[in-house]
Amino acid sequence: MEPDGIALRMTACSRESSATLPAFEQIVTQCERSVLRVALRLLNHPQDAQDAAQEVFLRLYKHLGRLDDARGYEPWLFRVTVNVCRDILRGRRRSVALEDLTEPPSPEPDAYHGAARAQQLEMLRRGLRCLGEKERAALVLRDMEGLSTREVAGILQCSENTVRTQICTARLKLRDFTSRLSRRRS
Amino acid sequence: MNCKKWESDIALYAGGDLPDGHLQPVEQHLAGCADCRALVEDLRTGQALLAALRDEPLDDAMVARVRYRVLSQVSAPRQVPVYWKLALAAALILAVALAWPRRRQPPKAAPAPRAAAVNLPAAKIVPVRHRVVRHRRRRAPAAQPGPPLLVQFVTDDPNIVIYWLVDPKPQGE
Repeated sequence: MEPDGIALRMTACSRESSATLPAFEQIVTQCERSVLRVALRLLNHPQDAQDAAQEVFLRLYKHLGRLDDARGYEPWLFRVTVNVCRDILRGRRRSVALEDLTEPPSPEPDAYHGAARAQQLEMLRRGLRCLGEKERAALVLRDMEGLSTREVAGILQCSENTVRTQICTARLKLRDFTSRLSRRRS
Repeated sequence: MNCKKWESDIALYAGGDLPDGHLQPVEQHLAGCADCRALVEDLRTGQALLAALRDEPLDDAMVARVRYRVLSQVSAPRQVPVYWKLALAAALILAVALAWPRRRQPPKAAPAPRAAAVNLPAAKIVPVRHRVVRHRRRRAPAAQPGPPLLVQFVTDDPNIVIYWLVDPKPQGE
């Protein structure tokens, strides 16, 4: 997660009921962007992502005194984010067809540079939507958040080999998607 | 060259996820295959873009909304469940019903209104215990209701005097 030593600060606030709320507020301020970003990439829907982030922090508040301090809160937050997003996806059935090759909207012209990059990012966002639930979660945590394979395995509660299989499939699918889209555009 | 079988390993190799034992054969294959080297480049470009996606600024309003919703829920006083409210209301009604005197006993003889002076502390509310007097229903000759009883409470504040006018009911009612 973003700031250094966040696990330490989180540890300090647990089990001290009088100091829980200000410390919790601090955690929310420090982690809200990471949680929201992951939720946004997993759900690809701003309103759902906000709901998910809210639910994640409410669960954190509920479990603040019961979490294992030694392991830190970061894996816990990501795990809950993935689970909450999964529940939302299953509940709302907002899936996108695998062959969604519709043209991405043209980016805002940003002088001379940036437009092409913005289009690439938009293609990537669309590509992420085409991935399966588990592949997307593994790829977002590994390649976007930069967690290690072992950490991702811990968060997704599966083996490292399973994570490797998922990220390998996801990378290849994403690469196929973006190259097909590029060919179509050209 | 059939490179399909190398794809998975290359996808892991590009992200540094390939276990040590598998590195050497992949590197040997890459040394002699331009297509697979291009694949590695493509995959690495995709990874760099994903990392860039992480740095994309989030909508501040969205972030603030989440924070507000979380903190307002957490800091709000906890809602008492409805069944607790109902139980409390029922208990209060029962307590009042039990404590309320069913019959008020009229004063035996009260020829004239009389005043009783009671000194009360200024801002102190003293709970008054009602004594429930139960008496058997008796047939009594119709009696005229007595004159009202006037009780005067004198507080420490000379401007505040409380009068309590009790109208006794006639006996036998």
